[in-house]
Amino acid sequence: MVTAVTERPMHEPGEGRAPYGESEIRRWVRGSADVISANRDFLTQLDAAIGDADHGINMDRGFSAAVTDLDASVDLPPGELLIRVGGTLIYRVGGAAGPLFGTCLRRAGESLGDAERFDGEDLLKAMRAGLDGIQGLGAAIEGDKTIVDAYVPAVGAFERALRAGGDAASAAHKAADASREAARDTVPMQARKGRASYLGPRSVGHQDPGATSAALLFAALARALDGER
Amino acid sequence: MSLGATSPERRRGTIQSVDRAARILKVLGTGTSRMGVTEIASRLGLAKGTAYGLLRTLEAQELVEQDPETDKYRLGPAMLQLGNAFLDNHELRGRSLLWADSLASRVGEAVRVGVLHGSHVLIVHHVFRPDNSVQILEVGASIPWHACALGKAIAAYLSEAARRQLLESAMTALTGRTITDPGALEVTLLATAEDGYAFEDEEAIVGEAEIAGAVFDDMGHPIGAIGVVGPVERLLTDGEPASTLVAAVRETARGLSRDMGAGRARAGRGVRS
Repeated sequence: MVTAVTERPMHEPGEGRAPYGESEIRRWVRGSADVISANRDFLTQLDAAIGDADHGINMDRGFSAAVTDLDASVDLPPGELLIRVGGTLIYRVGGAAGPLFGTCLRRAGESLGDAERFDGEDLLKAMRAGLDGIQGLGAAIEGDKTIVDAYVPAVGAFERALRAGGDAASAAHKAADASREAARDTVPMQARKGRASYLGPRSVGHQDPGATSAALLFAALARALDGER
Repeated sequence: MSLGATSPERRRGTIQSVDRAARILKVLGTGTSRMGVTEIASRLGLAKGTAYGLLRTLEAQELVEQDPETDKYRLGPAMLQLGNAFLDNHELRGRSLLWADSLASRVGEAVRVGVLHGSHVLIVHHVFRPDNSVQILEVGASIPWHACALGKAIAAYLSEAARRQLLESAMTALTGRTITDPGALEVTLLATAEDGYAFEDEEAIVGEAEIAGAVFDDMGHPIGAIGVVGPVERLLTDGEPASTLVAAVRETARGLSRDMGAGRARAGRGVRS
């Protein structure tokens, strides 16, 4: 999962001409809020089958609050921005998704540190830190029918694309594709974590809402790095 | 809740066709609720003709039904009646209805009643958090005993042998905070018996906590538990349960125990045999 240690000789976050900064993070948070809002009812419907029927509503509320928060936070480095947004998600999303996605962003933000700029390698490291945060809280592994199922393949695809010489934006598109597919692959799984696991075999046959949200956030990341909103 | 009880090899003294029919019902009880004869036959390793005969028989009893458009089978209406009959005949559930309602409205949180079923707690009653939000009924849910307060409340008062068996069962982590170490759980159970209530802190679901008290019968045996479940930030402060909630849960568990025939002293404390 998160075993491979990336070799990054002579490079610290933000050094050189790292292509991304605060504006990409802002675009990503806004884009995430948009795509979550557009899929609000879909996510809630997925959750109604195996959860508490509030995932879409909670995520939408949290990301709207995150955007408001973003507008009030000026002149923050990317990492600080992420930490802030993560904190907002923890408190405003609630349920299990709040702490999981919120901690993910906080860890990712801490990984970016206080550098003004970041590149693909920094982002990969941040993604992994976020995944560690999620797994620390939820103890989920691949196959448990959770966020992790859509997250791990995204990180893998992102890293492979970078190693193949791609830029971070195209790698993020590969990550988004892998994540979307992996979220769909949660359908036949039997949940082993979260409220859905209480249903035992009845959780089979439904797409996991958490994994679906994760895939939407990776899609928003790809668009943010493209420079679109 | 699990298909685990259905071993493909027949147990001695059981009837093969009944065993197969029961396995068909359980397969149809998974989330993939509609299946064709071929799929059912292959899932259970049966000849298609055999599966078809069994399905026709179950259909005649309305235990399964066939979708007229797709020809696929799903569980039938008689299953709902049977499920309801199970709940209606459940004495603890029946007697807990009013207690659970009044506890939920008193504390403003969801309330669940559960019984031990193997190494899991089976939820037999669930009152929604009284805030008009959409919630999903958890009756029928099955939660590993060690991850929920209901399970710990019951386990604390079981006989030494029964408790040992639970502590020796395979325990998985449902979150990063689930306690799976038998020694640590044993310490928790001792504290539970001493305090008269159990709690869990994000051990079953991230973001949720539960406070529960055991319910006793006239012999002083723990027959189940009743508890309050909700967002960790409302139930616990610095990892400790709010005292008002503890008082409400304990009073409710005591009252329900008396309804179940437990004597006054036992209803209050239970006996740890």
